[in-house]
Amino acid sequence: MLWLSVVVDKACTQIWEAWGSGAPVTSLRVSPAVYTAVASARPKEVARHYPLMLLGLPLISDDDVATYDPVVG
Amino acid sequence: MLTAEENEVLCRVGPGTPMGTVLRRYWTPAFQLGDLPAPDCPPIRVTVLGENFVAFRDTNGRLGLLDELCCHRGASLTLGRVEGCGIRCLYHGWKYAVDGTIMETPNLATPTFRERVKHGAYPVRESGGLGWVYLGPPGTEPPFPEFPWAGAEPDELAVSEMIMDCNWMQVQEGSIDSSHVAILHLDTLATMGAGPRSVGSFDFAGEPWDLDMPVPGRGGGGGPRPGVWPSDDNAPRIEVENTPFGFHYAAIRDVSGEPGKKFVRVTAFVMPYTAMIGGSPGAVIIVPRDDYTCSSIGVFRVPKGAGLGRRSSGVDPAVWGPEPANRRIKLPPQDREAMASGQSFAGFRGGNRIQDSAVQMSSGPMYDRAKEHLVPADLAIIRLRRLLADSVRLVEEGQAPVGLGDGFDFSGITTASQIIDGDQRWQDLVPAHHGTPEPSRTVTA
Repeated sequence: MLWLSVVVDKACTQIWEAWGSGAPVTSLRVSPAVYTAVASARPKEVARHYPLMLLGLPLISDDDVATYDPVVG
Repeated sequence: MLTAEENEVLCRVGPGTPMGTVLRRYWTPAFQLGDLPAPDCPPIRVTVLGENFVAFRDTNGRLGLLDELCCHRGASLTLGRVEGCGIRCLYHGWKYAVDGTIMETPNLATPTFRERVKHGAYPVRESGGLGWVYLGPPGTEPPFPEFPWAGAEPDELAVSEMIMDCNWMQVQEGSIDSSHVAILHLDTLATMGAGPRSVGSFDFAGEPWDLDMPVPGRGGGGGPRPGVWPSDDNAPRIEVENTPFGFHYAAIRDVSGEPGKKFVRVTAFVMPYTAMIGGSPGAVIIVPRDDYTCSSIGVFRVPKGAGLGRRSSGVDPAVWGPEPANRRIKLPPQDREAMASGQSFAGFRGGNRIQDSAVQMSSGPMYDRAKEHLVPADLAIIRLRRLLADSVRLVEEGQAPVGLGDGFDFSGITTASQIIDGDQRWQDLVPAHHGTPEPSRTVTA
């Protein structure tokens, strides 16, 4: 089972850390499995061609990102 | 957000479900001691975690929590007679002790059955005006969490229960959601003469209209309390740390007219039910009754003598009351006229708990979190889900869930709501929270 709660917690913590250090925060890279899970959960947004977003950031699928290690950039 | 599958895991609490199995590993507050005031008083039905029980106080004053239905032919023991150190089923007279011992079987003369079988019975503890039960596997009880108010006299505690028709997670998440306070509860802050006077393009016009609403702390003196919320900042910075009991977090806001200072509210969340909210003299405890109803229990210290009796708490009795038959909240209509005129933001009379109930129940019986769009200000909610998810996985692996606090002194848990210097650490306001932190036991693969 995929635990999005773990992914979201790690990503959100990174966002606050980045904001605290003044680093730019523009996107969230996740594993293809996470990206697919988010897309599957939001069929209406996909059908309307809205960008997939998580925690207010555009979601990017990245083969180099591990499932439970999202990367805020 | 969560996948639909994960949402189901977090929300459903019945026997055999992943979350139900986790929650049964903690002590669970299940009823008010005031509902069983004296030896041999009438028993009560207790619904918790999707199961029904009967609670009673025997002739010697001992509390018992048993499976509700008689193990002979299934009549409810809530109809039974409490007498002679036990509870007797009305149907065929079978009688049970608080530990489940079958004392009498009038229609079965031989003792073999009652000597070999016991009725389902569960450990019960009395603490802080509540009856706490342990519904997990026998022999796995964690240390009982003695909260800061555990030793208070009954007349020093105000205990109340509001039954809400929605899944427990909707209410639990609301209890640790700091960024809604100065928005949904704008009317409450306005009544206290505190906090912001606007939300986005909405500006409060004139004087607040619900002057009878219950306001935190007003029972002590009345009048405006502008220092309660010295900030117009509706976008708090959220910082969260895990602790031996779960986690604590700070909502950090700019202070109106005082650059270089920060308004900090530190809330402690004790797994898996209890939120001790910054600046509040007690806690809000959210307990699932079943998948679609929950109890929001308030336990607050009050001046000595103020805790006795059933108080109305300033809420219209047609909406909610502390009496057992009136604990299920019925939402009042919104005052759209007051909203349109700018006298009210939310339009609900009755204060914070009514306003909270309205929005939490408005999401439906069980909200589908696949549809939500979380923001970073939701970090405490996100951490709650994370710890619950970690606990599900750990218990499935045969380990203990998160936050049992073995060896930790729960009586030292505190909160804070105050202005501090910009460079001061909020953790210093709650020094007893750390103790020996749990080793990290999170998902890594």
